[in-house]
Amino acid sequence: MDSPAIAIRDLTRRFGTFTAVDNVTLNVSAGQFFGFLGPNGAGKSTTIKMMTGLLAPTSGHIELLGLDFATHPLEIKRQIGVVPEGLALFGRLTASEYLRFVGRMYGLDRTTTNSRTEELLDFMNLAGEPKKLVTDFSHGMQKKLALAAAVIHGPRILFLDEPFEGVDAIAAGTLKAMLQRMTERGATIFLTSHVLEIVERLCSHVAIIHQGRLVANGSLDELRAGVAASSAGVPGELVRGGGSLSGPQPEEKLTLEELFLRIVSGPGSENPEEAVQELSWLA
Amino acid sequence: MAGVDAGGTRFTARWGFLSPLARGQYAALAWIQTRMFFNGLRTRRGSVELGARILSFFVFSAIAIGPSIGLGIGAYIGASHGLRLAPAVLLWVLFLAWQFFAALAPALAGQNPELSHLLRYPVSFGTWLVLFLVYGLAAPSTLIGLLWATAIGIGVTVARPDLFAWTALTLALFVFFNLLLSRMILAWIERWLAQRRTREIVTAIFLFLALGAQALNPAFHQSGHTPLYGIGRQKPLHLPSRVWNVQRVFPPGLAADSIFQAMQHHPLKGAEDMGWLGLYVFGAGGLLALRLRSESRGENLSEAPRRSTKTRSRARSRALLDFSGPLAAVFEKDLRYLLRSGPMLYNLAAPLVMAVVFGGAMRGGKASSIRVEYALPIGMVWAFLGLTRLICNNLGAEGDGIQFYFLSPTPMRTVILGKNFFHLLLFLLEAVLVSGLVIFRFGLPAPSIAAATLAWLLFAIPANFAAGNLLSINMPYRVNMARIRRETGAMGNGLLSMLAQFGILAVGAAVLAPCAFLGHNWWPTPVLLVLAVVALFVYLRVLGNVDRMVQSRMESLTLEIMKTT
Repeated sequence: MDSPAIAIRDLTRRFGTFTAVDNVTLNVSAGQFFGFLGPNGAGKSTTIKMMTGLLAPTSGHIELLGLDFATHPLEIKRQIGVVPEGLALFGRLTASEYLRFVGRMYGLDRTTTNSRTEELLDFMNLAGEPKKLVTDFSHGMQKKLALAAAVIHGPRILFLDEPFEGVDAIAAGTLKAMLQRMTERGATIFLTSHVLEIVERLCSHVAIIHQGRLVANGSLDELRAGVAASSAGVPGELVRGGGSLSGPQPEEKLTLEELFLRIVSGPGSENPEEAVQELSWLA
Repeated sequence: MAGVDAGGTRFTARWGFLSPLARGQYAALAWIQTRMFFNGLRTRRGSVELGARILSFFVFSAIAIGPSIGLGIGAYIGASHGLRLAPAVLLWVLFLAWQFFAALAPALAGQNPELSHLLRYPVSFGTWLVLFLVYGLAAPSTLIGLLWATAIGIGVTVARPDLFAWTALTLALFVFFNLLLSRMILAWIERWLAQRRTREIVTAIFLFLALGAQALNPAFHQSGHTPLYGIGRQKPLHLPSRVWNVQRVFPPGLAADSIFQAMQHHPLKGAEDMGWLGLYVFGAGGLLALRLRSESRGENLSEAPRRSTKTRSRARSRALLDFSGPLAAVFEKDLRYLLRSGPMLYNLAAPLVMAVVFGGAMRGGKASSIRVEYALPIGMVWAFLGLTRLICNNLGAEGDGIQFYFLSPTPMRTVILGKNFFHLLLFLLEAVLVSGLVIFRFGLPAPSIAAATLAWLLFAIPANFAAGNLLSINMPYRVNMARIRRETGAMGNGLLSMLAQFGILAVGAAVLAPCAFLGHNWWPTPVLLVLAVVALFVYLRVLGNVDRMVQSRMESLTLEIMKTT
């Protein structure tokens, strides 16, 4: 069996007394489109930051493409692409200058960098305003540029933190197609998003983190089975340790949003409209 | 507002700058500033920042107190003897010092506050303007100006107690005018520097003024004119009547004449002067308001070109430097950043302009021969000072881009090395300019002094970069490339970088002074060369440890450099 593209073991991150990520263990196979979900503050971005070298873990082990992050950070970074929460753009460069800069920082030669820059700018529809500085781009354009920068060196794993937020529908469609092509060619994509419909459509596997702990992990069907088992009172598990999830087959096909709400909200708090009713001063 | 019940808010209140809503906003801002101050003290960095502020307060006090005593005594003598010239000279000194330092030394001006983050709230323009001025009150140039004006007021009042109210009113109006003018000048400079074309024009004017001032001083010496710093030793100054009449129509002259007319019991004439001064206040306030009106409406100060629907040509971006690799990429990126940042260029140019303007003063005084002899090393030290902010906070301008460095496979050592190369080039450029000026003004330095200066530079450059790299990693602060403003965290970094500069300078002086005293002018060179080897070794050690240091400080680096306010 091939080693997973991403393998994290007992990953923990504490900020003072607060534990943001608590003993997370996760495997993602090569070529998988993996969705990493969780409510706000659940620990998604912290986990991604640790997996991409932006944050040191308090404890635990991270292995990407068979390499230990602690001992081979630069070799790993050469083979991964990241769109982080803050986008990591240099505001006072033009899009073209930025992509050329990124290409050179990843060690691409000038010819390759230039040709890929042109291609990416065309692909992302950013070629129209060659003199515009990144800081003057709309949020959606900045996101597309960050995506372009994340793929310019042809990464084998792509980490995307909310990649479709603020991107128009046409561009989102193009991007999704591009990402799916990447997975078909063997790249692994690790994505977080609050737009569950997109995750449901794109991702073959999903993990859910809640209050720093991994509470679900598997394919959508496996999650449905786990939730059904839990609802029926049958002992089952939502977090897969390597084998398949156990439990009865689901009678109804729950959407990812329904699954997410059931897993994260817990019993008795499934109606978020109750909270809104408390705000009596809102018309 | 549709869908919102304003019953619990004060939306129905008037929108003036003294409305209940505005007062609530002032209180909220005062509160948030206080909280940020106390919250900042929780960290070691915040404590260093506070220490630096206290120290700078004492430094500025020491600078300001001496002249204020002189101005007070001058005002007392002038008022006692009914001298017409005295208040005019004193208020012109106050005016020129205030405006000159505010425009050329942003550290003294306190820079403009960044208020764009308030745009999301219902802040009226009046409130915006008041906040802008209130923030300006805390600037060292304003505080020094206030102190000097108070000293003049005390001097006049002690001599003529009956003039207290009149003098206080006139000086208050004059101080307000100065405050508005300095803020207005800085706000407009910032706007002009934000666009390439106007930036070029401002640069040309700067150079023209600098060269003009440079030519002015020798002209004064040759034509036998009394230099300004010789006033006290010469016979009483008599300004030509034309100069006197011209100065009277400007604010310092008007304020001075208002006080003088009150001394002569001519309140109507004094009131007329005050009225004209009031018009100047309105003028300066109007120009400031004009500028801030655009900002309060969300103007973007960055140099975005106008959207053009016609030009769809995809001009291939020309590389500034035709060599590849991460080191060159960092170098080229930093060069582009600098060329696009008016405030950065301004910060680099201002010390040079000041050196040019004040360079003439080196020729006067008893110790002028010593100062002329050491003009070259002094010029080199000055050239370094202009680069201190860049060298000691070399990651500060990266903004959100700092994360990219952590994500990329390029070691931080390479990134820092690229930045050091770039700053070395800038320093060499400044050093060449300063050397040219020194040779032009004072002639060629003695070979022994030139050799010692070169040896000191070989020591100072790696020592500066070693200290700068350490500070950049351990005490960074975010730099806004589009604004001339004081950044949070700049004080602590500034204090330590100044200490490092003084340390490096002190080493040079400690080597040079005893050798000069003993008459061995060639001895400093080999000693400084040995020190240069040591400094180079230290620099390489620091560079070798950059990745380890950045790794351990990655979170705080990201936090400090990416933070928005």
